[in-house]
Amino acid sequence: MDSQALVSVGLILVTFALYIGISIYNRAKATSDFYVASRGVPPFWNGMAIGGDWMSAASFIGMAGTVMVLGYDGLAYIMGWTGGYLFLSFLLAPQLRKYGRYTVPEFIGDRFDSNPARLIAAIATVIISFTYIIGQLSGSGVVIGRILSIDAMYGTMIGVVIIAIYATLGGMKGITWTQVAQYLILITAYIIPIVFMSLQVTGNPLPWLTYGNVVSEIGALDRELGLSEYFAPFADSEKLQFIALMFTLMVGTASLPHVIVRFFTVTTMKAARWSGAWALVFIALLYLSAPAYAAFSRFILMTQVAGSPIDDLPAWTTSWVNTGLLEVADTNGDGILQWQEIIIGNDIVVMATPEIANLGMFVIGIVAAGAMAAALSTAGGLLITISSSFAHDIYYRLVNPQASDKKRLAAGRWAIVLSTVVAGIVALDPPGVITQIVAWAFALAGGTFFPVLLLGVWWKRTNAQGVVAGMIGGLAATLGYIFLAMNGIMLFGIQDTGAGLIGVPINFLITIIVSKMTAAPPQKLQDECTNLRYPEQMTYKDGEVWMDEVSGK
Amino acid sequence: MKKIDKSVADAYFKARTMIVVICLIIGGLVSFGVVAFAEFFSQFTFMGMPFHYYMGSQGAVVVFVILLFGNAIISDRIDKKFGIDEEHNVRVSAGSTVDH
Repeated sequence: MDSQALVSVGLILVTFALYIGISIYNRAKATSDFYVASRGVPPFWNGMAIGGDWMSAASFIGMAGTVMVLGYDGLAYIMGWTGGYLFLSFLLAPQLRKYGRYTVPEFIGDRFDSNPARLIAAIATVIISFTYIIGQLSGSGVVIGRILSIDAMYGTMIGVVIIAIYATLGGMKGITWTQVAQYLILITAYIIPIVFMSLQVTGNPLPWLTYGNVVSEIGALDRELGLSEYFAPFADSEKLQFIALMFTLMVGTASLPHVIVRFFTVTTMKAARWSGAWALVFIALLYLSAPAYAAFSRFILMTQVAGSPIDDLPAWTTSWVNTGLLEVADTNGDGILQWQEIIIGNDIVVMATPEIANLGMFVIGIVAAGAMAAALSTAGGLLITISSSFAHDIYYRLVNPQASDKKRLAAGRWAIVLSTVVAGIVALDPPGVITQIVAWAFALAGGTFFPVLLLGVWWKRTNAQGVVAGMIGGLAATLGYIFLAMNGIMLFGIQDTGAGLIGVPINFLITIIVSKMTAAPPQKLQDECTNLRYPEQMTYKDGEVWMDEVSGK
Repeated sequence: MKKIDKSVADAYFKARTMIVVICLIIGGLVSFGVVAFAEFFSQFTFMGMPFHYYMGSQGAVVVFVILLFGNAIISDRIDKKFGIDEEHNVRVSAGSTVDH
């Protein structure tokens, strides 16, 4: 092992020890600890935990690279992944919190008083989280594989073992605080290299203020080379695809079960609103930095690497070429490496740039530890969600309602171990690049849950028949469109990653039409829905609103 | 328990809905709106880069953050105006939660 690998492994081991320590310290003792951290997490810290939970390998490893390769068209990810928090914090999270259940399938099952709806929601939750976790596990495989110079397959296996250990130990309570720690590590790891690059390129340590000029310079360099400008809109895809992708990522963000469940861990509707606001601040720190990362990375490659003799390339090129994610070939045979002759994979930009910019062993090691934190924190949240769908929604609510606390906790832990192993096996040979797999998970979440949750919260006339038909129709339409688009059959130029723009309207239509055509839900359910309009202290009952007064006043 | 006048309850719901609608419209304009006319906005420069690029990489995100905090702050004020006591909310919420 060379000294770079030793430093990286050392930093990763130290951070792992920290996560496992936090898990053990906060070990789950009761069911409500396991699922919703006893519902007492303060909004500021919950916001940070949402940031860790939310920002996955796709955000950390993939996004800057995607923006670098696509230019303006990559910004659909930035706006989509942040804009979803508007839908979530305005339209869903506070109301879902007031309803006071453990999971998304439980909300759907109880709100519509329908076990078929509960079962479909639980199955959809597992499908969505499973798709998402494959991306995380293969991301951790890339990182571990690169550092240890071993096959990504073994890297994935190592990641799987670590995740299974701390997720089973801690449950939601442990995960909350490990995710806080993971957020702090991943954000530090992301910002340090761009501060150094900003200093190197512009002499100013605040990348957010300086990279605008770098973007303009890249545009000028592109013009010189006769390429379309970096910031030119819709150079790589249709405008409608940009909008479809942005929409898909927004509705997906608002309906991912593992994100929604984080809003169940706070005390009240007000706390849910503030959680959403804090969460977006912490998320924005990384998302405002990604375009800077992309710009500096591309600028350094264009000005310092391109134009150098092919026989005199720096050492970092060889190790990345070996991973198959970087290609440098002197295709025109003039002995000089031109910009057009460098083909760089989306998923290596964040990991490779600190090496390209010569930032030193410690910074490179921190970035590796941050990438692991991003992959592990999201994988942890996803595993809890898969486990509660099995153990709580399917096993306890449908199969064995008499199950004891202890039995359910054990079922939850076994579900985590099993799903980690199965997802790990699929991740050994992932079906797409990380950002693409993740975009599918968003399309499926939006297509299945967004209309049902939105109508369930705001339209009291929605009934069980409507949501059952809507979820099945939406899930089938989204899945079907992803497969069609992957095989080249597209509507209006919308690609597989924008499938939400197809699935969501279909789900809305089916849910509304079927609800209208069948009998109205019982008055009790309609009242429960109206009740969600008001804060906890107010109760809607028999057509009147009642205020629970503060005792002793 | 004290009954609340229907007009008061409706006023509460209307006030909360208004902020949500306004915030969503602003959020839609800075993201979908700017994207729809990206070619037009590209002629202006802001912070050293073309305006459409600025909005996609920073502007929209900053506006989203402001909207979320604006909503949280204004909603707190509305709650206060209608005599909602957050500490009491916490007690009520803990009692109404389904724990099983």
